[in-house]
Amino acid sequence: MEPPRSSGVGIDNSGEYSPEIAETLRFEEEIQSLIHPSSFDGSAAPTGGGSFTALLGLPANQAVELLHDSGAREPLASRIRVGGHPVHRPFHLPLDCSSAFPSNATLVDRAARFSVFAAEGSPASSSGRLKAEPQDSDSPPLDPIPTGPAKRKDTGRSKCDVRLSLSFKSQAKATAKKSKNAEENTDGDKLPYVHVRARRGQATDNHSLAERARREKINVRMKLLQELVPGCSKITGTALVLDEIINHVQTLQRQVEFLSMRLAAVNPRIDFSSLDSYLSAECGPVTVRNGPGGVVVDPSLWPTDATAEATRRLLVPQFWHIDLVPPQLQPQQSLTTWERDGAAHSQLLPNPTTSLFLYDPANSGNANVPHLTAKLKTAEDRALNL
Amino acid sequence: MQLTSSFKLNFLKQMLLGFQLSAVSSNNMSFHERKKAIKLSADAAIAFARGRTRWSQGLITNLSKNEKNKDVLKGLLGREYDELSKPCCNSWKIPRSKKILRRCLRMSSTRKMAGRAQHDVGKSILAKTLAKKRIQVLKKLVPGGESMDGFSLLDETLDYAMSLKAQVDGMRCILRTSEALNFK
Repeated sequence: MEPPRSSGVGIDNSGEYSPEIAETLRFEEEIQSLIHPSSFDGSAAPTGGGSFTALLGLPANQAVELLHDSGAREPLASRIRVGGHPVHRPFHLPLDCSSAFPSNATLVDRAARFSVFAAEGSPASSSGRLKAEPQDSDSPPLDPIPTGPAKRKDTGRSKCDVRLSLSFKSQAKATAKKSKNAEENTDGDKLPYVHVRARRGQATDNHSLAERARREKINVRMKLLQELVPGCSKITGTALVLDEIINHVQTLQRQVEFLSMRLAAVNPRIDFSSLDSYLSAECGPVTVRNGPGGVVVDPSLWPTDATAEATRRLLVPQFWHIDLVPPQLQPQQSLTTWERDGAAHSQLLPNPTTSLFLYDPANSGNANVPHLTAKLKTAEDRALNL
Repeated sequence: MQLTSSFKLNFLKQMLLGFQLSAVSSNNMSFHERKKAIKLSADAAIAFARGRTRWSQGLITNLSKNEKNKDVLKGLLGREYDELSKPCCNSWKIPRSKKILRRCLRMSSTRKMAGRAQHDVGKSILAKTLAKKRIQVLKKLVPGGESMDGFSLLDETLDYAMSLKAQVDGMRCILRTSEALNFK
């Protein structure tokens, strides 16, 4: 199996286990490494452990207790979900937190919250959620005036946040329940106002709004990445998806290294200039002709048409005059076989050799072109069909 | 998304051009030198074909750090070389001060939160630490990733992964044809 990563992160690639066991093992190792920073050899963990406790601002033993509690209490499934969305947990933002703000700001906040909920169209049910909210009747008259400064305060604060570009893990969140029929408007960093509509039961103070906007951005991007990396769409949880992405990128980088090694091992008799001239010649017409089947959106099916054509040209030596012979092998066939790409191509090499030998460079003439074109085409197709 | 056939052909062209420039076909290179030259050409070609993204700029910058590669790069990329290798440097200063600010804010906010609900904070901080570790690993992987924040890092990772796939496929194609040619 692959050796552990050199970055010092305590993640092992345990390919022989099933995914869930591997995930929990990884998590357990990481949590253990966080709890016992002294016993870990890696470079990242001690600093992680040290800063971890520093983050909490607690003495170390209290932090360890905390971790033990959280680690021990949770069942397996929810531990996996820990890495992802804390939003799944029903947190209620206690309204006594607003005691941190000045008193007029509580009214402002409440009015803002209420106006937001009114926009949602369900003010009545939300009043039951917020704990100390007796004066619903008082808030509507306050609406027009304080929402102005409230919104501006929010956007001012969120503009600051955005400008500081706090990372999405930077502040501890206190979030409430997510509702199913919520709409959220978030945007990028460009607009002056960050319009974030709160969901039912969620806090609407400045920090939460900005954090929610940030989290939405992160989630959108993570979804895109999940679609890209194969086998990632079933995984929930940010940390696991990031794991897969890291794995994928590392695999691709290693593949590039390996392929460059193999290319270096190829006997350097290859005349790359001829290839280059063919490619430059074919670049225009090939793209035009590849209109119907050719624009490959799916990255796994690589350029079946384009390079099928290009490699057809490559396999034909230089002094052939090749008009763009329409491919006999339809792209669909090569599409399906291209997917089964692997090291199996080495088995097929004898076939092209036998038919390539039919072509004799000495007596090429344009008279032989059609006949030999067909033979070479079949040879090339066989070479490409893995 | 952007994996058009013209992109791939561009990449192939550039890579072969790079092979010629670094004289890979000649016999007076050792195996490792040849491998490095091939990898250099491939990386430069994919960065060039992709255009101006942050990872491609970071890649070219990293490649240019080795003095020997600069000539090949310049010849390969032409005028794109200056455009691609410049802008990575000036974004360095800013994230450092942001990090300090971030840390201060984080500590103050977690001190506030620590009083409230201890176990909630524990879970979320645990999750965040795990995610943060992975983000750090990802920053090392993606070229030029050190100077990016969370959002753009994910964007660039997406882009970079797709380009890597295209690079792998292109190299595999070239390999196959050259091996087939070798058997003639």
